Amino acid sequence: MTELVHGRVRLALHRLSAGEGRPLLLLHSLYSASSAWDRPALVWPGPVFALDFAGHGASAWVRGGAYCSELLVGDADIALAEIGEAALLGSGFGAYVALLLAGARPDSVTAALLWPGSGLEGAGAAPTESDPPGRHPTLGNVPGDAGCDPHVEILAREFRPPEYARAFAKKARALLLAEEGRDRPLWWTSVRDGANASVVAPEWGTALRELAARSN
Amino acid sequence: MSTPATGSAATPRAREVPLFPGAEEPVRSGCVRSGDVELNTLEWGAADAPPVLMLHGMWDHARGFASIAPILAEHYRVIALDARGHGDSGWADAYGWNADVRDIVAVLRSIGRPVFLVGHSKGGGQATSAAIAAPDCVRKLVNIDGLGPPPDHEAPMGPSPSFGDGPKRSLPDQLAGYLALRRRAVSRQAWRAVEHLDLLVERRRKQNPRLSPEWLRYFAYHAARLDEDGWRWKSDPFMGHGIGIGPWQPDWIRLEWSRLTVPMLAIVGTEPDTWGPLPEAMRKGRLSLVPDVEEVSVPEAGHFVHMEQPRETARLLLAYFAS
Repeated sequence: MTELVHGRVRLALHRLSAGEGRPLLLLHSLYSASSAWDRPALVWPGPVFALDFAGHGASAWVRGGAYCSELLVGDADIALAEIGEAALLGSGFGAYVALLLAGARPDSVTAALLWPGSGLEGAGAAPTESDPPGRHPTLGNVPGDAGCDPHVEILAREFRPPEYARAFAKKARALLLAEEGRDRPLWWTSVRDGANASVVAPEWGTALRELAARSN
Repeated sequence: MSTPATGSAATPRAREVPLFPGAEEPVRSGCVRSGDVELNTLEWGAADAPPVLMLHGMWDHARGFASIAPILAEHYRVIALDARGHGDSGWADAYGWNADVRDIVAVLRSIGRPVFLVGHSKGGGQATSAAIAAPDCVRKLVNIDGLGPPPDHEAPMGPSPSFGDGPKRSLPDQLAGYLALRRRAVSRQAWRAVEHLDLLVERRRKQNPRLSPEWLRYFAYHAARLDEDGWRWKSDPFMGHGIGIGPWQPDWIRLEWSRLTVPMLAIVGTEPDTWGPLPEAMRKGRLSLVPDVEEVSVPEAGHFVHMEQPRETARLLLAYFAS
């Protein structure tokens, strides 16, 4: 494990496997951690790294709990600075972060594979009439066994307009969206139809082979 | 880095408390916990009077209400909050809109009865978000020039390091600028000290040229502290690294406003200032989203309406609260 520093927060970056070639950076879902990745399934020609986002896994909690999408993109960007140009695999909230990072740093992100998972709706959701009032008020919705900072729940209550996601999709070099044919948030469908995006089967072997092909 | 001593050697270090006509000492202070951050409050007026909660803007602090609060306090319990990282409130590892709003909701809940909620600038925008998040805690909302900056405006609102490299960049480029800032963000634990308070007053004057020297001295005195090596701002310098408005876009807040169920009074000054008012078309566009809103302009005031015209602003507030 490598300890990285993002501002006032210490982050844990795990090296899951060695290898020659393009690194793969794994970005986990909301309330999860690097330890949850199905490592045998992640076949990749180069080295594989997994980041624990702030408030999750072996990374420190943000004192004051000011988590937001862009702060977590900052976490991932600190990891990118450490490992160099890489492909991204993001699950759930990590998929949203991967999209934003792929759009903000197209020179350093070869391609991003967006995988379903916890928190996928998070910052992509626009508020609707059916949203209950009080998006911010209390804590307590985090699964008790998650072991993460309860304040990260704020991430599930953020929204960004779909145009925001689309602006990043346009700048990204290549995006792969793992489809299962189930409902996807608005941001996902708005990204899926872009020129840089394509759909892959939600099967690790196929999806990672495709990601590797796009990352050369 | 050392600080050049530009003040006159003959000038003694000012330890005397600056006074400002109409500004009164708070009668109580308090502390509210929001998660692991302790928030400081100052109060004027009877403890059992109907409560008014006041929220300052970026890089300001609760004392900014010291001239308007005593007028309101003839009828109300006036509570002014130091936002996290500001004034005498605690610091955090990171700052952001939603965390500020959560702090405000924590204070609202601690008061225990619905309040008249007043916010200036960033505090006005966040008061609006808080009223949407906790409508049961808010009777009426007053937003003083807190309608957000123009969409392409990225300038910070105070003494921070340069932020971004200009307006009208694409969203990914803006985020790239934020990420570059975050990569080199060093956790400074204090502002650099200067020998004389006057230097801090002067810094603030450059940002707020419309405010009187006497007020700026009062305001800067309470924004600063005297350490062994000199005067420094009490605020957390780390807020400059992706501050409350960091990667934040005004359009995100705008999407919420149609869900505001609390009536809003929107106050702006008529005079152009370093920050605001918004061009009229933009202001009307944002306010058109608010279901129940009254608009009023205060003459001879810029962005800091309540500091420049405390009596007139208080008159408007008292009439609105009572209506």
